[in-house]
Amino acid sequence: MKYILLMSGTKAGVDTYVAWSKKDIDAHMAVLKSINKELTESGEFLGTEGLARPDQAIVVRGQKAGLPITDGIFPEAKKFLLGYWIVDVKTPERAYEIASRISVAPGPGGVPTNMPIEVRQILSLSAKS
Amino acid sequence: MKYILMMNGTKANFAEYAKWSKKDMEANVAFMRTFNKQLKDEGVFVATEGLGWPDQARLVRAGKDGTPITDGVFPESKEFLAGYWIVDVESPEQAYKIAARASAAPGPGGAPGNVPIEVRQVLGSHSDLGL
Repeated sequence: MKYILLMSGTKAGVDTYVAWSKKDIDAHMAVLKSINKELTESGEFLGTEGLARPDQAIVVRGQKAGLPITDGIFPEAKKFLLGYWIVDVKTPERAYEIASRISVAPGPGGVPTNMPIEVRQILSLSAKS
Repeated sequence: MKYILMMNGTKANFAEYAKWSKKDMEANVAFMRTFNKQLKDEGVFVATEGLGWPDQARLVRAGKDGTPITDGVFPESKEFLAGYWIVDVESPEQAYKIAARASAAPGPGGAPGNVPIEVRQVLGSHSDLGL
């Protein structure tokens, strides 16, 4: 079963993260890297991506005169996808376990962020055909 | 440059979609299949996935002893990711054009859905970023 683990945050949340010390960011990334490595070794890792900051997000809706209608204005409360992991696991519980490990990656001063991670199954309806 | 095109919706949006006629749904799915094939033919396709329904979404945090605490309660206004495409393009404008094509996928009665598609650059995995 393929699951996607989604990390999301508001613009304000991302601004807070950017203000972390280099040491705190390094410690956070070291944990995420070791999780990626473990998942690769266990054969559960399918992919991970980090997205550009929310201030670069654009919404496209329909088109006018053959050109996309773009807009960069979002409600303040909007949660932007910051990044994701895709894992191939035997049970949803295993996906939750991995998500909880990502959730305890250290934040400022080494304290776990406890960021909520949204877990969703990936449907195989995707256009691989 | 890799860009992700995201289709989001609230639970209410999903509930509306579930009420589409079989014919409308088939037309939408046929469009998506053709669209994906076109992206491959154009050499910009990287990946696409569709996600499970919002009522199966869980939020996970870690409890004190490290065991996962799961929660399926979300605010009504929450936008759930319905699915995404990743494309590899020369410019953001090219990504926006592709997003506009996805946005024009047919809805009920065959009229273009004009659903909003969020476009963001993909920075790559942590290791790609040298972190």
